[in-house]
Amino acid sequence: MKQRPMLTLEDCKKISAAAEGEARRNNWNVCIAILDDGGHLLHLARMDGATPANARIAVAKGRTAAETRRSTANWQERVAKRIELLRMPEVTPVQGGVPIVVEGTCVGAVGVSGVQSHEDEQIAAAGIKALG
Amino acid sequence: MKRLLLAAIAATLAVGAAAQQPNPRDAVPDKMPFDLPYGPPISLDRAQAAINAAVAESKKRGWKLNVAMVDSGANLVAFARMDGAQIGSIQIAEHKARAAAKYRRETKIFESGVQEGNLHYLLTLDDVIASRGGIPIVDNGQLVGAIGCSGGTGSQDEVVCKAGADAVMKR
Repeated sequence: MKQRPMLTLEDCKKISAAAEGEARRNNWNVCIAILDDGGHLLHLARMDGATPANARIAVAKGRTAAETRRSTANWQERVAKRIELLRMPEVTPVQGGVPIVVEGTCVGAVGVSGVQSHEDEQIAAAGIKALG
Repeated sequence: MKRLLLAAIAATLAVGAAAQQPNPRDAVPDKMPFDLPYGPPISLDRAQAAINAAVAESKKRGWKLNVAMVDSGANLVAFARMDGAQIGSIQIAEHKARAAAKYRRETKIFESGVQEGNLHYLLTLDDVIASRGGIPIVDNGQLVGAIGCSGGTGSQDEVVCKAGADAVMKR
């Protein structure tokens, strides 16, 4: 049987805290969502001042990255060249969703929403970096 | 055929007789029920403190649950899925928290209403979940958020939910 790594709640807390730290250093109020490789929510933190929409959008970006195994920035670039990709079901093609790859396997994703989308991605990447 | 007709008439009469009985839901109380004002939204720090307390209680008992916190607008603020918790319960945890905030009462009240009170109409109300494990967080008489737990039996969900709520409730 093939074995694969899996995110624990402790891993999620580590990722979320690092992402939140990155946002706080820049005075950004965002929502940070972490999902597993099936696109199911594992952890969510909406910082004070982030909007209810940020919570929904963070999950949507994270789910897209987790299920498709590629960043939503990649989706955004591809949609810019091929507008028909907007019809792909359940895809949110806006930068800020980053897959978490461990030992060559996608174990989930981080989705961030609240500031400019390249800044959202910066926060998500800072969170994943903390995983080591 | 004749017997069938008689049965139909008898049934009609029975319904007529029932209509004569006073309907307890026709009573008009003077006061508003669950008249709890919606206050400011709970902070992320407090939401996370409630979740940590709930997760600790669940861990102590060897249970695996999903815990969700919403603010006074019923929007998600924080969420944690314990290792191995049932994924079908992710949405249920959030739904319980949301219903507790929107309706300003514990979701157990809906469960009891349906089970013991036979108030089946409760199930037709918007966004209700008739299952215990959703509790409002109240600050000085104002609702600031709600916590919801799911993944075990209703009774397990409720124990963990209560541990989370108690950790941050200011009475």
